[in-house]
Amino acid sequence: MSMHEVNIEVNGVQYQRYVQSNMTLLTFLREELGLTGAKCGCETGECGACTVMMDGAPVNSCLVLAVEAIGAEIVTVEGLAKDGRLDPLQDAFIDHTGTQCGFCTPGILIAARALLDRNPTPTDEEIREALRGNLCRCTGYVRIIDAVKAAAKVEA
Amino acid sequence: MRQAQPGLPAFDYECPDTYEEVYRALTQDANGSKALGGGTDLFVQMRDGAREVHHIVDLKSLPGIHGIEDVDGGVRFGAATPLNIIGKDERVNTKLPMLSEAIETIASYQLRNRATLGGNLCNASPAADTAPSMLVLEATMHVSGPDGERELPILEWFQGPGAQALKQGEILKAVTVHFPPEGSRGTYLKLGRNASGDLAIVGVAGLLLPDKSQASGYEIRLALASVAPTPIRVPAAEKLLSEKGLTAETMSAAAELAMDAAKPIDDTRASAAYRKAMVRTYTLKVLERLAGVEKEVS
Amino acid sequence: MTQTETASLIGASKKRIDAREKVTGEAIFTDDLAFGPGLLYGRVVRSPHAHAKVLRVDTSKAEKMPGVRAIVTGEDSGEHIGLYLKDRYIFCRDRTRYVGDPVAGVVADTEEHAELACRAIDVEYEPLDAILSPLDGIKPDAELLHPDLGSYVVADFIDPKPGTNIANHFKVRKGDVSSAWDQCKVIVEREFTVPHIQHVPLETHIAVARVEQDGKIVLWSSSQSPFAQRNLIAEAMGMSQSDLRVISPYVGGGFGSKAGVSVEGIAVAMARKVPGHPVKMRLTREEEFYCSFVRQGLVARTKVGAAEDGELLAMKTEYYWDAGAYTEYGVNITRASGYSSTGPYRIPNVEADSYCVYTNHPVGGPMRGFGMPEIHWGIEQIMDIVADELGMDNAEFRLKNCLQGGDHNVTGMLMHPIGLSECIEKASKAIKWGVDEPASKPGWKRGKGLAIMWKAPAMPPNAGSSAWVRLNEDATVSLGVGGQEIGQGTFTVAAQMAAEALGVPFEWIKISRPVDTEYSPYEWQTVASRLTWSMGNAIVAAAKDARRQILELAAAHLGEDIDDLDVRDGQVVSYRSEETIPLKNMVVYGLPMEDDQGWRGGPIIGNGKFMPSYVTSLNNETGQGKRAVVHYTTGCQAVDLEVEVATGKIHMNKISSAFDVGKAINPDQVHAQMEGGIIQGASTAIFEALVMKDGVPQNPSFTDYRIATSVDIPDEIETIIVEVPQDDGPFGARGVGEHPMVPTAPAIANALSNAAGIRIFEMPLTAEKVFFALEEARKKESE
Repeated sequence: MSMHEVNIEVNGVQYQRYVQSNMTLLTFLREELGLTGAKCGCETGECGACTVMMDGAPVNSCLVLAVEAIGAEIVTVEGLAKDGRLDPLQDAFIDHTGTQCGFCTPGILIAARALLDRNPTPTDEEIREALRGNLCRCTGYVRIIDAVKAAAKVEA
Repeated sequence: MRQAQPGLPAFDYECPDTYEEVYRALTQDANGSKALGGGTDLFVQMRDGAREVHHIVDLKSLPGIHGIEDVDGGVRFGAATPLNIIGKDERVNTKLPMLSEAIETIASYQLRNRATLGGNLCNASPAADTAPSMLVLEATMHVSGPDGERELPILEWFQGPGAQALKQGEILKAVTVHFPPEGSRGTYLKLGRNASGDLAIVGVAGLLLPDKSQASGYEIRLALASVAPTPIRVPAAEKLLSEKGLTAETMSAAAELAMDAAKPIDDTRASAAYRKAMVRTYTLKVLERLAGVEKEVS
Repeated sequence: MTQTETASLIGASKKRIDAREKVTGEAIFTDDLAFGPGLLYGRVVRSPHAHAKVLRVDTSKAEKMPGVRAIVTGEDSGEHIGLYLKDRYIFCRDRTRYVGDPVAGVVADTEEHAELACRAIDVEYEPLDAILSPLDGIKPDAELLHPDLGSYVVADFIDPKPGTNIANHFKVRKGDVSSAWDQCKVIVEREFTVPHIQHVPLETHIAVARVEQDGKIVLWSSSQSPFAQRNLIAEAMGMSQSDLRVISPYVGGGFGSKAGVSVEGIAVAMARKVPGHPVKMRLTREEEFYCSFVRQGLVARTKVGAAEDGELLAMKTEYYWDAGAYTEYGVNITRASGYSSTGPYRIPNVEADSYCVYTNHPVGGPMRGFGMPEIHWGIEQIMDIVADELGMDNAEFRLKNCLQGGDHNVTGMLMHPIGLSECIEKASKAIKWGVDEPASKPGWKRGKGLAIMWKAPAMPPNAGSSAWVRLNEDATVSLGVGGQEIGQGTFTVAAQMAAEALGVPFEWIKISRPVDTEYSPYEWQTVASRLTWSMGNAIVAAAKDARRQILELAAAHLGEDIDDLDVRDGQVVSYRSEETIPLKNMVVYGLPMEDDQGWRGGPIIGNGKFMPSYVTSLNNETGQGKRAVVHYTTGCQAVDLEVEVATGKIHMNKISSAFDVGKAINPDQVHAQMEGGIIQGASTAIFEALVMKDGVPQNPSFTDYRIATSVDIPDEIETIIVEVPQDDGPFGARGVGEHPMVPTAPAIANALSNAAGIRIFEMPLTAEKVFFALEEARKKESE
């Protein structure tokens, strides 16, 4: 096992740590930094519960090594709100009951944020396709899609 | 029954910025070292115990291994270019739309931000979704290793399930694709269990190129994923279509020939019998789309 | 029932009170808790055999490995454990009964250390013949999986058959089925099968246990049942309930898998070996698929007969449940299915035998619907076939035969008023029932189908709820509950009911959480769709108790009649004198008496409980009894789908869903439950099966156990709330958490039959299965 010094920016804050080579970015965020928003659901990149933004692109952090994120800018769900104000997506998820058990929510919010960043006026179809890497067992996705649409309207 | 373990097993990691270091690292512990691209296949396999890897050699700092360059009449994809970068590239969207189409069918948007073209082709799953398009586009594989650089046509690339033509110490550096001539049409259609995003039960790529040397005036190429030990072309069907053109009869006959060429297995996803039948169905859909007479967009 | 005049919070779609912390990522789940550097990790050695004797467990190599702190085996993990039937050990002793059965556990500094040490534990097994289907399990010469069945502690309403593999046999004998067949114009007989599936909560099972030096245990777990876990684990460990404290943060999805005890016992057994250290046990996704609970499999043989005019006359059912290696929970599923075996229909002659059969498969346990999805898969298809053979419209057939209030059902229980007919009418109308609509594309066939359902909470007759209400100085109200927020909206609805019954604004209610058996009031379990009803009643009682104390204090203070006073919008009001007293401060400090003569009142805490008193036992031979269950929730789903002939792929245009919930406390959340249930039901209908081969699960991962994603949902979903009040429900409410996933699969199967004339009796309806069924039908037609 090799050990590596990593410098990673997370939610605008620079962190310097010393980690094992086999530590994933997900574990780094949760256990090294205490940012427990991103969740572990499968460790195979299938469920999307670990989705975080890496240099502006949503990734499954369970399949990224911490050492691969050296120099990267990471945004987690904890970084969506700005100056105490929730992101329009977060507001929309509250208003439209887009969350039930809440376990998939952080990952979905990042995936949805990434969608609206690259496509501010997505169709229903585009929202569904963009979120197909985020499993939800509670909501049936209906209100999640509604919430994303509503947030897109607010941001328009 | 070896279970997938929590987390990743222990390994040494390095991220060399010269090719020589990469070759050294890959040959030093030949059986235990592995090149890392996006990690979306490798890490899953390591958790499963399907691959024992003691030494990971990250390729992503190598010069020339990223990005999309213009080459004469085509583009050159760095092997470590993430699929989404390729999928949204303007050159790809205008000149190689079937490749964008194929990339869109893969897994999820998040996964495609990490998964690389090189990784998909080196992992060499028979179901690799970029493979059929690359096969009909007749891409060229650029390999480099301790003994130097070499090129080989993609038609010589796939050796078996999970096996490709890389020798000890070699890595895939780039893939070049020449743009098909004006008036070409290509498409990739795939059947999975979910409406989209699943592994292919069957994947079919078709490419139609204007070619006056063919009796029909067109060359038609066909490739299949997930129904043989490797992704395959279907020469028998291609010959028929290139000679006789796309008619209801020829398309139906070609679909039968594609079905015959397929040698699928039974697995958890589907039976061989279903795969065979779906090769016929999806080949027909692809050909109908090329002919401009598709019944539906699926 | 005294209520404020405007029931403004009941029927109000208040925003979820847990939504904000869930969207900011602040909501704490069990793996988010920090336990400090003393935290150790547990991993488990699991049997690779479907059935085997354990001859030798050699831990000597593992003990010496780096990071290893302790090793646990069956000998030091307590006695038999189980909810309704104590038939399993936390770690196996001399026998393993399914692939995944825990044999030994390692506690180490890291998961990696524990994992490596597990691989160094050498277990010598003697494989035994395995029972891989319930039909094999009931054969007279079958290997006995539980030879000691007769000695297991068992609930008195469960009927095991020692000397067999039958852990429970529930019988119904009503009327005279054998003579009734002669009066039937149409008799249909079919066999239906349902494979094992898994709940697939996004959060896998996890538990952390710490044993104090004095032997007391603290257990943090993602749990639907903190009190049941406390009870069952304490019993197995020979402890008193109060010596085991269970704390459960938010649950990332349960669907029944986190009821009862699965990995929690393992965490406790491990922690006992390393007192003072918390030990974390979490399942990987792969383990989640078969090492916690799965849904039982089922082979059902059903025969139904109807008269010429369409009236159902007779039904004979045999259920052979593939209940898995341990049936401690599953026995009640088979009982509930037995007494629900007619479906929500009026049938005078019924014979049912529901057998819970041990097999060497993963442990069958509670999953949303508790047997109802499995049995309705067959019931609703066979009813469709009966209707078809009579030439009757499928909806008309249901309307003619479905239960109404005042009917006696299969157990002889008098049905309370239910809105099932209204549900049928509304759900079918929503998909334009009776209107043949063309497929949207060539090569596709379109059809419509529906299915109805019923379910009662399946629980012991004395499952209780309790609640407390504590007023704070700032007049906010701390509400103590033992029910868990697993996504269904419990905390929000609890707050609405408490606020309404007390007379304060909704925002003033603060749920005291996490649920902690040290401080929280007792709640049997968060299962059975029982919380809104049962816990709701307890909450209302507690709120009323607090209200009474407030009014008594105010009455004495004002010198007025208590009947002229009310608590409204957070203050006491007098209708007579129009005096008001804000609740602030008075609810803790009381009110001063006249002339400085002292103080009245004091800190106000209300308490309440609810336990149904009227559930009776059922006759062992006939399954008849005065009142089998507390009540039924009924409903109907209708499906408009298309199927592509060339591939067998199903595309759902629209699913409509109507359920009678008595009273929707929070309509938004009820709609949300219906939507989620529809998709989970549809997912099980089209994708899901835990593929078993020789007892080995073939697809325990998301790669090959597919569930519905955002691209698989119907184009349109319409959910309809019907309200026929429940007489003893809070504000008339009854539960609906499980019900929306029950009729979906048969509704889809019925729509498929309508579209393409094929029937498939084995779930799931994969594209491959549908394709070959269509091919087969085409071949038959051309012959």
